[in-house]
Amino acid sequence: MLNRRNLLQGIAAGAGSALTVSMDPQRLLAATDESRTTKRVIFFMQNQGFDPKTCIPEGMPQSGSLANKTLPEPISPLESYKDRLHIINGLHGTHTSPSHSAFFGALGGYRGGDGVPPSASTIDYEISKVLPETLLPHLCIGMDSIENMTAKPTVANLSASGAGQPIFMHSNPNHLYQMLYGGISTGDIRRQHEARSNLLEQVEKLAAAKGKTLPANTQKQYGQYVQGFRDVNGLRDRLAKVSDHLREFAPTVDERYTRPEFETDWHDALLELGISALTSGITNTLTIGSGRGEIFGAWKGLGVEQQGHNLGHMAQPGNPIWIKIRQYNSRMLVKIMEALDSIPEGSGTMMDHTLIVYTSNNADKQHTSGANWPVMLLGNFDGAFKSGCFTQLDGKRPINALYSTILEMAGATCDRFNMDEKLAKKFDSGNGAVKEILA
Amino acid sequence: MIRVRLVWVVLLTLCFVPTAFGDNYTPGQVIKKDFKSLAASFLTKHCVDCHGDTDPEGNLSLHNLGAVDDLNSGVWKRVWAQVALREMPPKDAEQPEVVDRLQFTDWIVAELSRVMRDKGGFHDHLDPNKANYLDHNLLFAALPPGIKLAPTSSPARIWRVSPQEHITRLNELINTEPVFNPERPGLRTHGDVVPTNHGGELKLYFGVDRIIQWQGGTVAYATAVKSVPAILSSARNHGLKNYPHFYTVNSAEATQVMGIANDIIRYMAYGPLSIAHPYQITDDPDSIKDKMQGDIRGLPTSLVYSTKTLRPLTPIYELLKVKEPTEEQQRAAVDFLFEALTFRTPTPEESDGYLIILQQSVDKLGHEDGTVLGLSAIFLDRDALFRAELAEDSKTDRHGRVMLQDWELGLALNHSLSYIKPDEQLRAAIVEGRLQTRDDVKRELERMLSDETIRKPRILQFFRDYFDYDHGGYICKDNRALTAAGLTGNPNGHYRAMFDATASTDRLIELILQEDKDVFRQLLTTNKIIVTGGDRVYLGKLNTKEERQASIDKEKLAVAEEAKKAEEALEAWKKANPGKEPPKTKPKKRPAVNHNISVATLTGPKEYVRVSRRSFGNGSMRPDRQLATVPEDQRLGLLTHPSWLVSHSDAMDNHAIHRGRWIQERLIGGGIPDVPITVDAMLPDEPNTTLRERMRVTRENYCWTCHKKMDPLGLPFEMYNHAGLYRQTELDLPVDTSGEIIDSGDPALDGKVSNAIELIEKLANSERAEQVFVRHAFRFWMGRNETLNDAPVLQAAHEAYKENGGSMNALIVSLLTSDAFLYRKP
Repeated sequence: MLNRRNLLQGIAAGAGSALTVSMDPQRLLAATDESRTTKRVIFFMQNQGFDPKTCIPEGMPQSGSLANKTLPEPISPLESYKDRLHIINGLHGTHTSPSHSAFFGALGGYRGGDGVPPSASTIDYEISKVLPETLLPHLCIGMDSIENMTAKPTVANLSASGAGQPIFMHSNPNHLYQMLYGGISTGDIRRQHEARSNLLEQVEKLAAAKGKTLPANTQKQYGQYVQGFRDVNGLRDRLAKVSDHLREFAPTVDERYTRPEFETDWHDALLELGISALTSGITNTLTIGSGRGEIFGAWKGLGVEQQGHNLGHMAQPGNPIWIKIRQYNSRMLVKIMEALDSIPEGSGTMMDHTLIVYTSNNADKQHTSGANWPVMLLGNFDGAFKSGCFTQLDGKRPINALYSTILEMAGATCDRFNMDEKLAKKFDSGNGAVKEILA
Repeated sequence: MIRVRLVWVVLLTLCFVPTAFGDNYTPGQVIKKDFKSLAASFLTKHCVDCHGDTDPEGNLSLHNLGAVDDLNSGVWKRVWAQVALREMPPKDAEQPEVVDRLQFTDWIVAELSRVMRDKGGFHDHLDPNKANYLDHNLLFAALPPGIKLAPTSSPARIWRVSPQEHITRLNELINTEPVFNPERPGLRTHGDVVPTNHGGELKLYFGVDRIIQWQGGTVAYATAVKSVPAILSSARNHGLKNYPHFYTVNSAEATQVMGIANDIIRYMAYGPLSIAHPYQITDDPDSIKDKMQGDIRGLPTSLVYSTKTLRPLTPIYELLKVKEPTEEQQRAAVDFLFEALTFRTPTPEESDGYLIILQQSVDKLGHEDGTVLGLSAIFLDRDALFRAELAEDSKTDRHGRVMLQDWELGLALNHSLSYIKPDEQLRAAIVEGRLQTRDDVKRELERMLSDETIRKPRILQFFRDYFDYDHGGYICKDNRALTAAGLTGNPNGHYRAMFDATASTDRLIELILQEDKDVFRQLLTTNKIIVTGGDRVYLGKLNTKEERQASIDKEKLAVAEEAKKAEEALEAWKKANPGKEPPKTKPKKRPAVNHNISVATLTGPKEYVRVSRRSFGNGSMRPDRQLATVPEDQRLGLLTHPSWLVSHSDAMDNHAIHRGRWIQERLIGGGIPDVPITVDAMLPDEPNTTLRERMRVTRENYCWTCHKKMDPLGLPFEMYNHAGLYRQTELDLPVDTSGEIIDSGDPALDGKVSNAIELIEKLANSERAEQVFVRHAFRFWMGRNETLNDAPVLQAAHEAYKENGGSMNALIVSLLTSDAFLYRKP
């Protein structure tokens, strides 16, 4: 049934929306008080597969430290951060049908596919429920070709709050900016924000008026509907109340937003917005879908003229196109880490309490059985995970086990994630956390 | 059994007055008794002997169970379930009078509802899966003395639209669906729901009727096309899915509705221009080749749209066509959209209210953006997301009931059959005040039921909810288990086959409804089936070890003969062409033979089924089917079709317990209590062991009380494997398909059966099973569980069904003209 967190959760998915709860907005900004710490998790899903040869240093057949190794060229931007890096090879996702993308199954750990609705919630949603409540519990951003992001500014392919309940990701940075920072915006964005605010306030009044004479047995059901509008309107008010704080973090709207030359301009803008949502404390769970969970996508701003499906047909190791894309991803990861490192939190910085999970919704390559699903972790999540190392697993534990591990480290109890005992007997040689990757 | 009682119990016993509940109990009336005066005496007389403080049965002590509170509510729930289901007191113990049992269980429900009010509430008695807790015999046999029924009605309520209903409603705004084709009545047409797509996802598609060319294959098409998934949430469970109180609309959904509204309004105004560049709209794709350079697969710019306008042109189009609209044009758009989304005309206040919102938005954002934003508010109106049955404007009768009238009655009636707005005749009846009485309802209903051009997706939805045959494509299968079940090829093909099978079963049901004779029995025993080419496998027979070997040998022989023929031909050629080099010929590739199965021979006339709009390029679902006959002696009726069998299976195997539960609840009318939380409901993992053998654990005493109601009813279906294939052996031994009907409530039904076909034949001839079917129809159309006060409605519906030769239409008319449908109680 419905609970408040579910409600807030989905609002992040609705284009240009807002929410409120009856608590102090300052308190719901994650760890804006330096003395408090909060964990946060970022999922970065690049489409078309993640070939292990593009991330495992040469001559490293077994688990070991990365200290004296040089990272492969595709992830070379992470060289300075390899003490925080943990490369994991040997998880599997054979049960997720990841060829051509597992879609929701990549973060859900269940069978996915084109046109296949989510059969359960995904790990990012579950993590956002476990972490301390924030103004916006979960934010999803999706990067694609400019044509797709314009024609379909919100799509839902990767995240879900339950069976048949997809969570939309934002791909138009102008809409996302309006949602997060409409209250401190100017010009057109401000005008649209005000018009939308006015409309939603009136819709709330109309909804409330139509509920006045309803019988008692429907009050709860209808009350939740009216409360939905109060939540939407309330978040806007609450964001307005912390506007001084948000101004410190809100990115500047420039021509990349309004007149992008390449899709990568919007990719960069979306990333900035995602980072600002983390650093400002608006949210503590961010999902980034580069390629939006599908098998297309474009990166013309990197000088990659080819796009879409063909990219997946190319072998990734040594491929100059894939080196560009992976390096671009790595620079994005660096941007996230630098931003989080710049914000003091507790006795360290935000990054100390953060985990970045970088992988692909396609396992290791586009046409794959999912027998190997490489992952990179960045950050040690308050010391919970090993870092500065490579771990080779035996291929007998599924990505679900990684997700259970993250959930456990986030504070939940979770022996298995989206996998019943019957399936586990076939697909998981263990139970609970993947101990090899824990500190 | 002799038990030592505590002094407390003795005191209670001394206070007990047998059958102290009065002579005329009316179900649903307020029980003015408390724990001490009602419940304690019942417990003492019927429960504490076995559930005392010393060595209690089932480790459950009731000797000191006090009045209902939030701490003991779990125990009281169990007591309610066991007593309501007549599991307790045990059959060999003294039974309470019917009225005592009723009053005791009703009191528990009232108390649990009161105590749990602020703790999430108590809803078990409203759960359709527990509706059978009400004794079937009380509903269909003469009532014992002491019970007086009250005239029935349903509660005043709001009913949230289902995701499919919502998407279908939105689809009406942007897509023109084909008109009914009497030559191919099975094809999807206007009034049918938007069905799920190739992968089982429910989506609204934009402009696919105008796409004449695209680049790339199936996935490229699916990515390039604009579509939005369903927003409103619902559970994908077996059983009835949409009682009015199940769902609401939360803030996330409301926000997303608003986002989609923007897309829809723009599409209503501009068509594909709202999602494509002007150059993409042409009837001559060659003329824009220069703009389609490079690899643009998966991009919206890879699509070419025809110039023919196909979407409905509405006042929204007219409004956004002009630069300076008049207020009349704005109001026309508001009123049109309001009725399109709520199915009724707006009141003057509603029309004014939304006009003001529209004008304010236009003032802030200008004509275009302001109109789009302003109109989107209507998508969030209460009546665009809920259907109200409040009966606020009519008079209360002497029983405190109010009859639905006018729009509310018209929309309730319309919703009973359809997901789109009322047709012109029903609308006229509502507007002209000709929908006021039971006879008015009957007139309109009979008219709509007899009109083949009016689609009735709600009737089909009832059969989906009742039979649960539409889950097969969502059951995640282990690839190796599928191969072991006899299927070869791409496992993804299996899921597609299951969505195809759902559409096929829909059509078969529709054909049976078209005959409208002996419908229930026909559904259970028909030898007809709608099939695709691929169903030759699913309706095939799993080979025995010997047959498998024979097939291999036959293939070897055929290969050898082919080789011999080729050799002979070569020799003949050489003879005819001495000294010449024979031409090199590529050996003809023989079609792969699946030695695990003997495919079925399926022939019959052409049929067509409903499939979604093109969602996956050339790989989209196709409507072409055949009406075939099932292999003789192997299958009988819907329960033996792969769509039903796979829907009641799991990743690795059959789900005999689910199948048995279905038979118990949907045909026999029995109830199954919730699994106690102390039970680890797992079968042992023993490869190379039959499911029946692994289910030995359910025959433990503690489990068998409930499992005897399910397992012996599900195990006869072991004659099919989990992909739905017929089999005679399992693990190379004869498969055991025996089963039994135990304590059904109808002694004539009870007894052993040798396989599923015998079980089905027995149940198809059972009047009790027919009555249980009527109970489920009641629940679906009334949106609630039946109470004892509904007994006359149920009996009348069953009589109508029988008297009209097993007519579903007669059953529906009876139900929808009953007090339970027409009257509401505030």
